Amino acid sequence: MTIVDRLLGFKRNPRVHKIPGGIKPPAFKASSLRSRIMPTPIPRKLIMPLLQHQGVAACPVVAVGDRVLKYQLLAEARGTSSVALHAPTSASIVEISNTLVANGSAELQLCILLEPDGADVAVEITPIPDYRALSHLQLLELVTAAGICGMGGAGFPLAEKLRLSIDKGVELLIINAAECEPYISADEALIRERAELVVAGSKILQSICLASRCIIAIADDKTAAITALVNALQNSSIELVQVRAKYSIGGEKQLIQAVTGVEVPVGKLPSDIGVLMQNVGTAYAVYEAIVEGRPCISRITTVTGSPLITPKNFETLIGTPVSFLFDLCGIDKSAHTGSIMGGSLMGIALPSTKVPVVKTTNCLIATCAEEFPPAAPEQACIRCGFCATACPVSLLPQQLYAFARSREQDQLIDYGLFDCIECGACAYVCPSQIPLVQYYRASKAEIHEHRAQQLQSAHWQTRFQYHQYRLKEQKDEARERKSSRIETQAAKTSNGHFSRVRAREEIADAVARVKARKSKFISSSNIDQEKKD
Amino acid sequence: MQSLAACSPLQHSRLTIGRIMLLVVVACIPGISMATWFFGYGLIINIGLAICVALALEAAILTIRQKNVRLHLADNSALVTAVLFGIAIPPGCPWWIVVIGIFFAIVVAKHIYGGLGQNPFNPAMCGYLLLLLSFPLEMASWYLPSGSLLEQQSFNPLSWSGLQQSMLLSMPFLAVDSISMHASIDGLAMATPLAEFNMAGKSALLAAQESGLSIFARTSGTGWELVNIGYLLGGLFLLYRRIISWHIPLSLIVTVGLLAMFFYAPGSSAAYGTPYLHLFGSATMIGAFFIATDPVSAATTNKGKIVYGIVIGCAIYAIRVWGSYLDSIALAVLFGNFCAPALDHFCRPRIYGHGRSKELGS
Repeated sequence: MTIVDRLLGFKRNPRVHKIPGGIKPPAFKASSLRSRIMPTPIPRKLIMPLLQHQGVAACPVVAVGDRVLKYQLLAEARGTSSVALHAPTSASIVEISNTLVANGSAELQLCILLEPDGADVAVEITPIPDYRALSHLQLLELVTAAGICGMGGAGFPLAEKLRLSIDKGVELLIINAAECEPYISADEALIRERAELVVAGSKILQSICLASRCIIAIADDKTAAITALVNALQNSSIELVQVRAKYSIGGEKQLIQAVTGVEVPVGKLPSDIGVLMQNVGTAYAVYEAIVEGRPCISRITTVTGSPLITPKNFETLIGTPVSFLFDLCGIDKSAHTGSIMGGSLMGIALPSTKVPVVKTTNCLIATCAEEFPPAAPEQACIRCGFCATACPVSLLPQQLYAFARSREQDQLIDYGLFDCIECGACAYVCPSQIPLVQYYRASKAEIHEHRAQQLQSAHWQTRFQYHQYRLKEQKDEARERKSSRIETQAAKTSNGHFSRVRAREEIADAVARVKARKSKFISSSNIDQEKKD
Repeated sequence: MQSLAACSPLQHSRLTIGRIMLLVVVACIPGISMATWFFGYGLIINIGLAICVALALEAAILTIRQKNVRLHLADNSALVTAVLFGIAIPPGCPWWIVVIGIFFAIVVAKHIYGGLGQNPFNPAMCGYLLLLLSFPLEMASWYLPSGSLLEQQSFNPLSWSGLQQSMLLSMPFLAVDSISMHASIDGLAMATPLAEFNMAGKSALLAAQESGLSIFARTSGTGWELVNIGYLLGGLFLLYRRIISWHIPLSLIVTVGLLAMFFYAPGSSAAYGTPYLHLFGSATMIGAFFIATDPVSAATTNKGKIVYGIVIGCAIYAIRVWGSYLDSIALAVLFGNFCAPALDHFCRPRIYGHGRSKELGS
């Protein structure tokens, strides 16, 4: 974007606030936006991880061998920070076992494996065309039952976030449609084709959280989506705000800053300043859950990457294996070098294409060697400061890197390691190809471990001190008992009074006795000697 | 699957150190060409010699330190050091001076401190200062292409004889008839404008300025204006490509300019020199855009960079006007290097969510 554009952009959006940092990587979104959203056929196998969100895994309510119908509950939420799971189609439960999923590590997770029967028979659902008929708590109940978590990628349970926000009082609801990360176009496609439904979902969310204002924030480069939204928002109280398209404006805290000019204070949540943010995908899921009565069993996922012949956005069932979607697009296997779940900057490399799409999967990328060359060798930091210019939180990544290498934990904390949102902008621009985010994650883990150790050692120290104290107590008691025993003995012998004189007499008596015995002995021995002589 | 990075981000901007350093060298080209046009091939010879020696030394040290020689040579950092060093030393100084200087720069100032990224001081300037302290006479002798001030006959430094003379100045062992050549070479030497200004020839220089000599005339004996404009252009190119940020050059140039304006008294003795002379009649531009912006030894926070530029600007002016050294840039930059860690510590940006808190709707 040129300087002129930028100036014009500011004129267009006088309400948008400037946020520091940010990068503008190539978007790679055009190819997946060429075609419309396509519903996927039912795959032969569905893998439903019990933990698809942040928090506690859901608890299965079905057993192996059961036949389930579409929308039927598979696993119920275990407490408030958990999310229920529903069957995406009619199927039989084949297995409940630990399976490979996309979680950034090689750790297996408990999944329910379904074998769809293809009939797609559904349980009865109750659509509520007019949500205004229900109170906000009734709506909240329905949303909770629908098993929705944040669809933007982080996957925070929606019901819990809503409850937290309602308790603290929400002034402003922001619907996040910034979608600033390269390759991901799911939200843009969704708005382009279903803007009315997204707006309806946003209204429901607004009436649940009782916010007085609702803003849809979108990046200014999504022209088709903006037009659709402007049309859908006619005669609506919901406002549309266009923010400058740069990465990572779609981060929760960053978008709040860009829209309101207010920063979420350190250690606080957006709800503490009266703001609730939800992704457009979540708003759409809420619309589906209330107006159509369908629990969250599908989502819009971008499937893209240059090895794919026709990249597109799919309305895909949760649990669909990644390879199924790649095959639907047609994949050039010789060019395919790897797979990513999420965008190219915050996504995770997939261990295999057998892993399933989950509720937070906004994008799947099939990588090729040209766009994703193998990581270059790490070179020395030349403190060029590109990273500091890119950081949306105004950290100094170059200093953090130096402290991370020398393991200076106090300095790391002082320089704001825990304010890092791990957006990866610093590592993206680093000319030395230093994997900065990796260093920060390792340092965070180290500091957590160190703190845990400290807590534990403090715990053991207090235990030890108690132990020492108890030992001392026992010793003191024993000493007291002993001295009291001596006293009672003394009392027995001297009618309660210890007398120095009497003691001396006793000693003198004893000495006299010994002397008498000795003299007797000496005299008798003398007699013996005389006899010998 | 192994081809992807282990940790996000999985994509990279592809701007590497090697490319950044190469762009810095490219940005030097306008200034170098200008300087060559005025002072002849001496500068090119210096730079070429410095590059060869620097790369050889870098490769040798990397081998000794058991590093990946190809990978580290490709970062082009030795190349930049050599070019900046070659620009700084006067054309026409003997080859062994170049070798000593670049040895000190690469081996002592850079690798003994731990190599690229670890050196607290600017290596090129360290090498240059060593020479300045050890060989003051040679370092003060700057080629005079044509001596309007010294009443020499007109002479084109870019001609064949100019090349010959440059070669002979640099490598005296090439001379067949050395005695006769030396006679003419002596006549070609003069000090840099600022040295002239600082030492004795204030009046001569001022006279040259006042007589309204065109800055485009090679015979003016000043010549520095166009060289500075060349480096200014190169610096603007680096700014445009976002290789350097504006903070250091701007604050440095503004500081020098303001100080020069403040102390300059046109009516009186004019002993402090005009702001014009300070900005364009000396090495200020190369210092501001190429030397002070060396990221390794400079301050790294934006606020710190501004203060860093001011510190160096003040030091440049003070050393020029009140100091006794010929050159001010190198000393001033090293002084700035000393201050950089403290500046970084005290000039940190405010982190998101820390400090001032604003209310929603206010």
